Amino acid sequence: MNIDPFLAWVESTALSQWVVGSPSMFAFPGILTLHAIGMGFAVGISAAIDLRILGVAPKVPLRELRRFLPILWAGFWLNAVSGVLLLIGYPTKALTNPVFYLKLTLIAVAMVLLVRISRQVFATGSGGSLNPLDPLDPPISSRLRNLATASLICWAGAITAGRLLAYTYHRLTQLH
Amino acid sequence: MHDFQIWLVTTIGGRSAIADVMRTAWAWPLAESLHFLGLCLLIGAVGSFDLRLLGVGKRIPIAAMHRFIPWGLLGFAINIATGTLFILTEPDQYIYNPSFHFKLLFMTIGGLNAATFYLTSYRRVFGPDAPLDAPRRAKVIAAISLCAWIGVITGGRLLTFYRPSACEGQQTSLLLTCAP
Repeated sequence: MNIDPFLAWVESTALSQWVVGSPSMFAFPGILTLHAIGMGFAVGISAAIDLRILGVAPKVPLRELRRFLPILWAGFWLNAVSGVLLLIGYPTKALTNPVFYLKLTLIAVAMVLLVRISRQVFATGSGGSLNPLDPLDPPISSRLRNLATASLICWAGAITAGRLLAYTYHRLTQLH
Repeated sequence: MHDFQIWLVTTIGGRSAIADVMRTAWAWPLAESLHFLGLCLLIGAVGSFDLRLLGVGKRIPIAAMHRFIPWGLLGFAINIATGTLFILTEPDQYIYNPSFHFKLLFMTIGGLNAATFYLTSYRRVFGPDAPLDAPRRAKVIAAISLCAWIGVITGGRLLTFYRPSACEGQQTSLLLTCAP
């Protein structure tokens, strides 16, 4: 399937040309900056939950970390939106690069892991707590630890893949 | 300041063995990836602690939450190390870059702000009968911390859009923002 006509059409839209061509700092540079800030909060909070599961800050009631989930999700959606805008700006650069699909896959796996961790940890009344501070805290099973470790690995991989996008693309735009 | 900047760039020179390694195909992208991972650790630990001071997850004891901070310091250390590698390799791209000047400014604010926290609020927030709601002063410090680190990320991300070009004509700003 040849997607070049589609990519050429995306690049011809006013939105794509604004993202790439506008001299405004709110265009490409601003979107890129929001993408980094959203990453910091989404990945940072997810990693903090993973680290807590793995034994860091043991006196933090694990279940109470659910209060940070709205900020994690805000970061995630900020990055979904800014990411789509960057994709609209440079569709050929991203969609002709296998590393981009690797990045998306790693993010998808990390989000599935987050949902599974959330279900195990944040669901009410799990019971059987070993944490005297919060009797509702679930016991930390080796399965939960594995999920947390996998989550950290996926995020590290997604970030590395994302950074490599700047070095591994074959074609920048349809014109190049 | 202009003379100091020029001296700095000339002294670093970008001709060390480290700079040679950094110019190989994978070293720079790898260091950048580590820099982004460090960023996430810093925001995940320090940012979450700031959010806790501001009232997110109020049932978490503040002292318990503070145990994440060493991981934020680890992230910060990774970023100082990788950041130093970038500067050692391409000194003029940073020393003359206004975005880098702002990044350093926000890092200084973040650092002084953290020092203020440990000097003024540490005991009240961590004492045996510390309240679950942080005192107003600690909340102000936490808000400044979040803004400062977001400022650091912004300054870092915008570096590439303020790359210094060759100086032409008058240079009027306090800091040199072009390559002489």
